[in-house]
Amino acid sequence: MDASELQPISDFLSALTPFDSLSDAALQRCCRALTIGYYSKASGYVPLDEDHPQLYIVRTGAFEVRNQDGELVDRLGDGDYFGFPSLLSGDKISNRIQILEDGLVYHLDPDTFNFLRNESREFDRFFNRAYAQRMRHQGRFKAKEMATTNRISTLMTKQPLTIDVNACVADAARLMRDNRVSSVLVIDNQQLKGILTDRDLRNRVIALGHDGQLPVHQAMTTSPTVLNSQALVFEAMLLMSECNIHHLPIIDDGEPVGVITSTDILRGQSTQPLLLIGEIERQSNLESLINVSKQIPLLLQNLISADARAEEIGRVLTSVTDALTRRLIVLNQQILGEAPLAFCWLAFGSQGRQDQAACSDQDNGLLVAGEMDEHAQGYFEALTKAVCQGLDSCGYVYCPGDIMAQNPKWRMTLTQWQQKFEHWVKQPEPKALMHASIFFDMRCVFGSASLFDSLQDHVLANTKGNDIFLAGMAGNSLQVSPPLGFFKKFVLERDGSEVKGIDLKHKGNALINDIARVYALFAGIKEVNTAKRIRELMQLNIINRKDALNLADAHEFIAHMRLSNQGYQYTHNETVSNYLMPQQLSSLVRHQLRDAFKVVHDAQAGLKLKFTRSF
Amino acid sequence: MDVQTLTYLIVGVTFALYIGIAIWSRAGSTKEFYVAGGGVPPVMNGMATAADWMSAASFISLAGIVSFTGYDGSVYLMGWTGGYVLLALCMAPYLRKFGKFTVPDFIGDRYYSQAARTVAVVCAIFICFTYIAGQMRGVGVVFSRFLEVDVETGVYIGMAVVFFYAVLGGMKGITYTQVAQYCVLIFAFMVPAIFISVMMTGHVLPQIGFGAELIDAAGNGTGVYLLDKLDGLSAELGFSQYTEGSKSMIDVFFITGALMFGTAGLPHVIVRFFTVPKVKDARVSAGWALVFIAIMYTTIPALAAFSRVNMIETINGPESTGVAYETAPEWIKNWEKTGLITWDDKNSDGNMYYAKGPESEMKIDRDIMVLATPEIANLPAWVIALVAAGGLAAALSTSAGLLLVISTSVSHDLLKKNLMPDISDKKELMFARIAAALGIVMAGYFGINPPGFVAAVVAIAFGLAASSLFPAIIMGIFSRTINKEGAIAGMVIGLAFTASYIIYFKFVNVADNNPDNWFLGISPEGIGMLGMVINFAVAFAVSKVTAAVPQNVVDMVEGIRFPKGAGEAHDH
Amino acid sequence: MNAILSKLGLFWRAWRTQHPLIKDYYAELAKLLQYKLADIPMLAIDLEMTGLDPAFDQILSIGIVPIKNGQLQMAKAQHKLVSIDGSVGQSAVIHGILDNQLQDALSPEQAMQWFMQQSKGHLLVAHHSPLDLAFLEQGISLHLAEPVKLLAVDTLAVEKRRLLRQQEVFKEGELRLGACRERYNLPVYNAHNALIDAIACGELLIAQMAAMGDGDKLTVTDLF
Repeated sequence: MDASELQPISDFLSALTPFDSLSDAALQRCCRALTIGYYSKASGYVPLDEDHPQLYIVRTGAFEVRNQDGELVDRLGDGDYFGFPSLLSGDKISNRIQILEDGLVYHLDPDTFNFLRNESREFDRFFNRAYAQRMRHQGRFKAKEMATTNRISTLMTKQPLTIDVNACVADAARLMRDNRVSSVLVIDNQQLKGILTDRDLRNRVIALGHDGQLPVHQAMTTSPTVLNSQALVFEAMLLMSECNIHHLPIIDDGEPVGVITSTDILRGQSTQPLLLIGEIERQSNLESLINVSKQIPLLLQNLISADARAEEIGRVLTSVTDALTRRLIVLNQQILGEAPLAFCWLAFGSQGRQDQAACSDQDNGLLVAGEMDEHAQGYFEALTKAVCQGLDSCGYVYCPGDIMAQNPKWRMTLTQWQQKFEHWVKQPEPKALMHASIFFDMRCVFGSASLFDSLQDHVLANTKGNDIFLAGMAGNSLQVSPPLGFFKKFVLERDGSEVKGIDLKHKGNALINDIARVYALFAGIKEVNTAKRIRELMQLNIINRKDALNLADAHEFIAHMRLSNQGYQYTHNETVSNYLMPQQLSSLVRHQLRDAFKVVHDAQAGLKLKFTRSF
Repeated sequence: MDVQTLTYLIVGVTFALYIGIAIWSRAGSTKEFYVAGGGVPPVMNGMATAADWMSAASFISLAGIVSFTGYDGSVYLMGWTGGYVLLALCMAPYLRKFGKFTVPDFIGDRYYSQAARTVAVVCAIFICFTYIAGQMRGVGVVFSRFLEVDVETGVYIGMAVVFFYAVLGGMKGITYTQVAQYCVLIFAFMVPAIFISVMMTGHVLPQIGFGAELIDAAGNGTGVYLLDKLDGLSAELGFSQYTEGSKSMIDVFFITGALMFGTAGLPHVIVRFFTVPKVKDARVSAGWALVFIAIMYTTIPALAAFSRVNMIETINGPESTGVAYETAPEWIKNWEKTGLITWDDKNSDGNMYYAKGPESEMKIDRDIMVLATPEIANLPAWVIALVAAGGLAAALSTSAGLLLVISTSVSHDLLKKNLMPDISDKKELMFARIAAALGIVMAGYFGINPPGFVAAVVAIAFGLAASSLFPAIIMGIFSRTINKEGAIAGMVIGLAFTASYIIYFKFVNVADNNPDNWFLGISPEGIGMLGMVINFAVAFAVSKVTAAVPQNVVDMVEGIRFPKGAGEAHDH
Repeated sequence: MNAILSKLGLFWRAWRTQHPLIKDYYAELAKLLQYKLADIPMLAIDLEMTGLDPAFDQILSIGIVPIKNGQLQMAKAQHKLVSIDGSVGQSAVIHGILDNQLQDALSPEQAMQWFMQQSKGHLLVAHHSPLDLAFLEQGISLHLAEPVKLLAVDTLAVEKRRLLRQQEVFKEGELRLGACRERYNLPVYNAHNALIDAIACGELLIAQMAAMGDGDKLTVTDLF
């Protein structure tokens, strides 16, 4: 019989991504393979058959995906899907589907599902992405209650200070003083016996008139209340207020692995970005700014463990850096007085693009409105030195390439900057361009916006449509290709015999930044953030919609992998780096990463064709 | 080892070399190279440019033409060299300042018109296409001889090789691959020339041997000079004297002009000047390229003369009465298999005889001269194999460049910018590859059914370039008054005139293709220059009667010629 | 219903009838009735007719879709056109079945045989089943030369009882298939043919069953 008789069903499916990418024949085969079920709110949850995973397509109704802990993962309505994670991973079904509103649901069996995945790359990719997104979402909804659902392991002091039971309290007090802590764990044979705090020293030693030779075990709190490192911060707070204590030893497998104090918890909560920025703006001297900026790595870790989008993490961290820079400029101007000329503090590179992450160095410059006389020279030299130094002490180390406002080379007037850029554009020497590329990602952090605009407008007027320059930029960005070898196998970086892994930054995100930059300069787009550049290029129809969406997804995915890898490295006390070992990934994530790199590879091929006229 | 095995071996080794260099330059990411303070030195860039420049036409056919037509053939040498100088010195620096990467983009912007851009794209595709057809013929000749198949099959094989090289391989466009190609091809060209020069005149440098006294087998001077001997032989056999041309003065003038201005309008060579970042470097590498090109071009007349003397003596024998076919040397039989040499025993004496006119029993295709010379001179087998590798190198480097121009023009300029603005990168790339494949297939067709010899086909490409793109570029740089209407009309009429003249004499009415029927005695090879004059005239006339050029474009043109302070001044 | 259509009655009919297809139908149906409702295989059907009078009008097409474990099986959904004497006439506008489409249709005899084969081992389901059953019973007795009594769940009747439990009166048209479906949040189908309506009817039934609550406790009597 004629399959088009199932028209209402095929009409519905063909309007759904990714079914819209299927051929007619495949779509009809799919319609034919469906079974149709109906789920009523009264029964509570959709009964999922462990042994027969299938793809559920919501035709009508409303459903909620909840994980084992009952936490909300996703909400679904008409045209949404569930059941695909276990279809893809082969893992056991772990989520439950709560029925919010009665509805009709189509079921697709695994065989047909796999057939369609083979049939259409788009179809396959859609569900792989949806799966990745689902995994991220599982954290996204959690992130709302970040402060309370965080694990203790993210806040506690690792490698706690310990002392033997037979030591004397004077030794303990000295140890605490030297390490500037308010408690020490008392151990005997690696086993926790008790905890000695400031309060114990006060109440049980000094108040009772004992001398410093008193053994620790007589002064300590024996069998203290403990928690394990996987407990929630919330539980720690609860325990502390119940027992009226301020220190909790953290025990894993019987051994003490850390201590968490009420101050740690307080600090954890203050690393909300807004609070942190507010705090920065309240500080009145460098020392306190340095102190506040110590929370920045923690903020990053919190954001990572909350599984925020990589793009958001970059923006949040950059806004903290911006706030810090602005505060430093204001504080120093209070000392040096009003500036003799209008100026702009320029941020380049990752700060310019708003995608800072761990261990960023500073890349900045100064744009001055007019010719500087000797006084102005001196003023700006003092100002920039102070600010750059301040940033350095706050953890933004000096730029190894010396691209900093304190370097007189990068402290220029408008005309000088314009000429500098003109030189790069007119003489696109590969080496010079490679170093110059970060300058094209510039943003005004402090100062006159109109002054900055007159520089940026001039630069873009020069780059727009300048094919020789763009060919040079494109050629440079094509020097590095994504780490995929023949047969799409990952290419690992090696350092001698040591395998370092996949360089997610330099072989992934940096390439996408480069691609977006070339297009943006070609089109004269002012935006410098990569995701926003891509979005704008898509709107201007300079990059095809599909290519643009793929590229933006790949950017986010690779950045996300990089950040979560760094989060993993941080919590496991490994050196934080951009290298990822693919063995650590599940086969599905490996597949997705490969897809993301493939997108980068294709985008590079497009760039090569368009700008260097070659393929 | 026999010639065939050696050919496989040497061609294989050279290919392995190109691939090896490509992989090496990929792996050792050039980025690190820049950081190390390197960069491509102008000498290397000059070699790469020379490889791009010296096509199968230069390598295979030019010496053949000079050899057969003597003085007449030298117009190619003059035209091409002159054109290169014109391009390097007068045009490239200005075009660079304009910031446009391709000729159509320059024309589109300068004449503020998408239509002008499209016309230029069409011209560029047309020109590249004709040029590449010449290359295919050359590759076909190489393969046919050394794989001992007929020339048609040779072209098919050549098509496949060029396709893989240009479309799938990642080794094109890499400077060091092209340096290697230059080395292979110049070595392949010089070795047999030096060998023969030593054998015939005792001079190592063929350039000197050309004007020297011939020696006999014992190495003693015979008192006869090479060119005199050739003149004598030519006269005896009914040809015009070797050192005197048969072409009319005006034709020589026009062909030279067409070649020269055409060279300057060739799209794939202009691009080379933009891939060097600094204007100064571009000039220096252009100079080096000229030196490297000169090495070959100055050898061509000598090689041509040697091989002609050799060939005539081998076929006609020392007494000029003909040699028995039975005793004919191996090379004649080998080339007969390709169909490029045929023997028709008209007087049934069993002897071969080569002369001008009806009594000639031999038909010899000119394109085989360079390839056959080592065999005629009885040089060792490896020299013969080397020449094959050289011919391939010449054809590959040039056709890869041309195919890129064709395919990216089709996919990016025609499709993406005109017809399908919403196309995805993947599709664009796919269309580029399809365009390259189509380009090869069509070029292959003309390689099999050539409208002329390799060099002559290429000359037509130059004529088309001279009559269409060259005037548009020159006026774009040096005139403020030419507007878009003028430029478009000029290009269209120039190209149409030249193309129809060529098509008429080369395809439609081949029988009439002789000086008596030519317009003003100008051959199809030279008509491009007249087309160019017409282009100029039409452009000026149309511009006079249509709207003036907008002020911003006038400023732009002035900016190119009189840079305001920046740019050059800050070159440090 | 147990009273009227007891197992005994079905066995009696099975014993009496001559036609093997009809015999099987009764025998299988008798077995089904003892299952829990959720486990009974059902077959949602819909007919298109030239008119509304079984005595004069003829069946144009039959759509069927099996329901197994409470799910519609699209793989086994079928749609058969039935050839008729004379022209489709006026009703063609409604059904969209044109005369020439009927050319490769089944003859009424083939259609009835096919239908009996398909319904074997299934409990029939239709919206306003008396009409469809009347046409089918008429067709079967005419073409298979055996009188038959078919048993079908009527989704309209199910809905009517449900509504009566909730409210006293209901407006005209509230029991039409589309209106019933709307109450269960089922999608609106714009196209109509026997198959799509059979699917629509089947979906309505599983929605009604779901609304009745605990599937394990329901028996076939809850539908009559």
